[in-house]
Amino acid sequence: MNKSRPSTHLLILLIIAALAALGHYTIHYSALIRGYETSWATAGRNLFLFVPLFASIIILARTVRFAGNWTLFTTAVLLFSIGLVGQYRLFSDPEYVSIGDKAQAREQKIETQQLRYIKEHYSAEKKRIMGLPATPPAPVNLADETPRPALEGIGDVLFSGKTLIPLFAFACFLGAFFLFRKDRVLDFFQNNGFLLVLLTLVPLMLAAFTSSGGKSIGNMTPWEMSKVPFLLGFAAILTVLYRNLTKTTWGVPSGRDVVPLVFMAAIPFVPFLVLKDFGQMLVFASAYIVLYLVAVKRLPQRIVFVGSVAFLIAILTLAVLPTTMQTRVPLLSTIAEPLKKALPGRIHQRFYLWFEALKPPPSDTFWWKDDFENFYAEEYRNEIIEKNPDLQEKAAPVERQITPLVQQLNQLPRGDSRRAELQKKINDLQRPINAEVKERAKQELAELRQTAYPQLAETEKVGDEPSNIENNQPPNPEAQDDYSDPATASIEEQQAARGRLDSLNEEAWFADDAMQSSRATFGISSGGKTGRGLGLGFPELIPVADSDYIYAALGEETGLVGGLLIILTLIVFVNAGIRTALDARDMFTKLCAAGLTAFIGFQGLVNIGGITRALPMTGITLPFVSHGGFSLITSFVMLGMLLAISHRNGVDAQFNGTKPPENE
Amino acid sequence: MLLFLLQFNFAELIKPLERYPALLSLIYLAGVAFVVFVLVLFVLFNRRRKSPLAVEPDENLPEEVRKRLGARSANRALWVFRVVFVALAFAVFGFHVYWALYAAEKDPRFAVLEKRDIRVKRVSKSQLSGWILDRDGDLKDTFAYWKIDKNKDQSGREDEDLARVYPLDKEMAHLLGTERGTPGLEYSLFKNREEPTPEALEVLLDPDIKKDENRDVRLTIDHELQRFAFEQLKDKRGAIVVLNPQNGEVLAVASNPTFSLYDAQDREKFREMDANQRDRPLVSRAMREYYVPGSTFKTFTMISAFRAGRQNEILNAYSGGYVPYRNSRSITDANGGCEPPFGCGPLNILQAFEASSNQYFSQMAVLLGRDRMAETASIFGIEAVEKPEDALTVGFISEIWNASSSHVKNAVALRKSTIVTGKEISLYDLAIQGMGQGYAGQMTPFQMALIAAGAGNLNGNLMKPKIELERAPEVFSNVLTQSQAEQVRSIMARVTEEPGGTARSIMPILGQDIRVGGKTGTAQKQVPVYDKKTNKPKFIVIKRRNRKTGEITEIRRTVLEKRVDGWFIAIAPLENPQVAIAVIVENIGNSSGGRTAAPLAANMIVKARQEGLLGEAMRTAPTNNQPATRKPQPTIRRR
Repeated sequence: MNKSRPSTHLLILLIIAALAALGHYTIHYSALIRGYETSWATAGRNLFLFVPLFASIIILARTVRFAGNWTLFTTAVLLFSIGLVGQYRLFSDPEYVSIGDKAQAREQKIETQQLRYIKEHYSAEKKRIMGLPATPPAPVNLADETPRPALEGIGDVLFSGKTLIPLFAFACFLGAFFLFRKDRVLDFFQNNGFLLVLLTLVPLMLAAFTSSGGKSIGNMTPWEMSKVPFLLGFAAILTVLYRNLTKTTWGVPSGRDVVPLVFMAAIPFVPFLVLKDFGQMLVFASAYIVLYLVAVKRLPQRIVFVGSVAFLIAILTLAVLPTTMQTRVPLLSTIAEPLKKALPGRIHQRFYLWFEALKPPPSDTFWWKDDFENFYAEEYRNEIIEKNPDLQEKAAPVERQITPLVQQLNQLPRGDSRRAELQKKINDLQRPINAEVKERAKQELAELRQTAYPQLAETEKVGDEPSNIENNQPPNPEAQDDYSDPATASIEEQQAARGRLDSLNEEAWFADDAMQSSRATFGISSGGKTGRGLGLGFPELIPVADSDYIYAALGEETGLVGGLLIILTLIVFVNAGIRTALDARDMFTKLCAAGLTAFIGFQGLVNIGGITRALPMTGITLPFVSHGGFSLITSFVMLGMLLAISHRNGVDAQFNGTKPPENE
Repeated sequence: MLLFLLQFNFAELIKPLERYPALLSLIYLAGVAFVVFVLVLFVLFNRRRKSPLAVEPDENLPEEVRKRLGARSANRALWVFRVVFVALAFAVFGFHVYWALYAAEKDPRFAVLEKRDIRVKRVSKSQLSGWILDRDGDLKDTFAYWKIDKNKDQSGREDEDLARVYPLDKEMAHLLGTERGTPGLEYSLFKNREEPTPEALEVLLDPDIKKDENRDVRLTIDHELQRFAFEQLKDKRGAIVVLNPQNGEVLAVASNPTFSLYDAQDREKFREMDANQRDRPLVSRAMREYYVPGSTFKTFTMISAFRAGRQNEILNAYSGGYVPYRNSRSITDANGGCEPPFGCGPLNILQAFEASSNQYFSQMAVLLGRDRMAETASIFGIEAVEKPEDALTVGFISEIWNASSSHVKNAVALRKSTIVTGKEISLYDLAIQGMGQGYAGQMTPFQMALIAAGAGNLNGNLMKPKIELERAPEVFSNVLTQSQAEQVRSIMARVTEEPGGTARSIMPILGQDIRVGGKTGTAQKQVPVYDKKTNKPKFIVIKRRNRKTGEITEIRRTVLEKRVDGWFIAIAPLENPQVAIAVIVENIGNSSGGRTAAPLAANMIVKARQEGLLGEAMRTAPTNNQPATRKPQPTIRRR
């Protein structure tokens, strides 16, 4: 088991490719059971992606006699192959992919199952009554059925981003390897770290300010790439400063050394704060902590550093704890209150989702109120219009205009460019009405809230009168004169209003803010130990399951076993990365290797932790597994760099003639 | 291509269809596990190897600094990183373990929400629920079945849809229930199939999976009788309940006003119906609406007297009415004095029941006492509460049902009927409960049918009502001995047969070869007046001024009016009762239960007979018009 022997890993890679083929076939078969066909072209493309990976091994082995640790490469490819299977599952599902016809696709799937049951079990007479040809019950043979055709043909697959991006990522991987193999390049980065960071910051800030909702250029996150230069810059400055940091007076290093370090450490947080990308900040923080601890040797400094970081985290966590938890500890709410106000609603929402996702927050919670009202306005649009005659009058002509447009829209095939235009036109027409509906919804909910929870003084007044009489109370002949009661109606109304408000609130919560995460939780819960089986679960119900929530999708269909395998693979990868860092001969490559490993490892943990609710959900991807543009490319670039460093170590070991002793 | 061949040979062998992908999926997992295992082995073998290429610090630094700068120190931090990372990774995975294995057990809220998850809905929807058949199991007379609905979708393409059809949608609406309100049979009969699909391993290994090939359910309801019962209530408000007292089968439950199940699928229409307080179409009057039972409740008091062995009591009817205690109000009969034909003076139970004497049965209730009344209530599933206000919060009774699952029991649960027997109420209050007034005013028609059924059972047992035909009969309680039950039935027959009986008018409807026992009732109830436009209760606002503070409080007072309801409960045929019936008709004005509700019950009996529900022998009326032979009179003699 010599780690530098490529043939072993070539063999493992072959096994991984064969497993991927098996996974794809399983998904294909499961899809047939649900009445649709998966695309052969997509499956072929996915398997074809292994060819450049094989080629990479051969290239690395032949051209530079790769002397590093192949395990890094193999684990990354294993994660990538699991990701391919997960994405094939999702992207071949018409219910997951189609945007307009989602409901239709869902109905078709359900109907396939129902009709199959009828065919298999219903007697001829039942079928006749139903209006079907009266045939005796017969077992279903999938070969006889005509599944709904696959979504993607060869033409769609060949030049799609899903083909080109991985290929580009592989190219970047090789490029990064060959670049960072060279001492000259490493020297350059080591000496110009500061410049590098500043140069990255400028375009990044531009992108950050022009972004919307944490995304830019459509649905992309181009700043993923910035991780590499930031890391290099921080590693470079640590390399320069780490010797000086040991020279301390009174246990504190001189300000000349500390200030640039803190500055460099703080820079990446600025754009991500603007982007409100909490997950990236978390990953950066963890990776930088690792780098700092590796570079700095003095124990007091380490303890002070770790302590202050822990303190910060504790304060932040306390601030977002639900009020019920805070009030249990004396003084805590007093401390937390100003912090609470300082944090943006989005963070509050994330943390609430983390702690108490299964319990909807009160409907007037400041970060939830707006979403709730929007949901109500959208979901109950027609009812609100009907309740307000004046609105009805306004809406009627608009509806008349829209109806033919909607018909037109439905007749256009999916993917037609005119669809977007029509949709925009419809939206423009509806906008003024919708704005007014929202206003009414707001009023209505405010009134409901007022009825449900009137001012305390009023409640007391109401409580004075005895109230136990309902409409159909048994008529007590002696008490009949004193039949009605002032409080009755208002308490009943109050309770009715409370019930309505609560049910609306819950409906909105699970359909809106908590929808994705609760569906993911129920998904991994339904997966159990071995999962539902590939293609047999319902991960298509989780929105954007292919990127952020891929672990939930896999957890549902492969269960705890699948999750454990992903985690173990991640651990093996991190181990191999740390081994590379351990072997590194100079501080810069050591820090680079440790940093790269920490980035990939922690990103994985933060992602999985968000889904399993060990951490707040942050919306970053699972490296190598998730579908993604820039995140996949970045991951492969990082892999290339790690391999380059590993290769350098191996070459150095050979050069020094101190081959590692066999240990078996 | 080889894969193709394998696929179809295997698929034929492995049933159900899901088993094959489940197997493949597990093989895939095993394969990945093997690869991970090999990779972990690599790590383990490389673990103890020391790095030969450590960073060596400059020679010219002091020894102390050299130590700190050495690669060993940096590497130690890396080792810590490794350990911490592995620990964190397993911690994160621990949460996955929690959700996958323990959450449903430990967190009840999670368990509830998981049941409501969209996946469960998906699975239950794709596992096509069965047809709901009537008691004959005839596929032509179903209550709910599937149909292929051919309709054109928006693009003009012909589309085939599976649609649930309810042939008796209005008649069965309350029993079948809606998706939005309280779930009925449609959403509970097939509930046990709503478990999410099993794990891959279970799919592969469990041989019993998907064995339930016939999912149809036969109800005890008779299709034709149900339809007819509803027809009887046309243009009326009220309810009809028909049970088989011998085995508890529910033959028909009708309630009007009702709603269409198709309308309820529309959210807006449902909301509208839900808000309609005047008609309350969504509420089953038969099972979930309280009525004042009036004189029909005397059957209960009579049964209670038999249970206490006080059936031979002779009690006086006074012209000034019965006064339970000094200075109490007096209790008179309906005409303000004594009920004809027996007039004032001593009465036995036969005469009292025939003439529906208020005075006799209110005295009987006081004689029997609070505990005996409470005890009799409990055998019928009626809640005897201590205080009047407790009666307002009793909720529903589902345990009286003989059903396959708690879901079904809850779907047909009755609103729990109540009487009050605590020490706090006066003797007067106790007395008028004996005649079905006062605190006895919370009875459901279904409960009254159960009281009739208790007397109608040949063994004197109250059978648990059941709505699924397959269930074996179960006894809820023993009400009377065999002979007592026979006596009670013969007393009930006097109501229809004796000249003074209050329901004698139904004899012509019934024909002469069938004997029916019963009890009429006419009850007044205070009900809110509803605004015709808004369907909300009318109220008046009264301003009250607090003398001390001068504060003015506004009091909303609901406007009430008196409504008269007509009742009839019946058992037939008397010798071997096959139906126990309760009929209520709301707002009958100046009429009486004997004239309004009793004919409906008679019609039901005739219909049940035509349907063969009274036994095949009774199906066709005998050609000779001779009156049915009467049984010898019971031992209690009229004085």
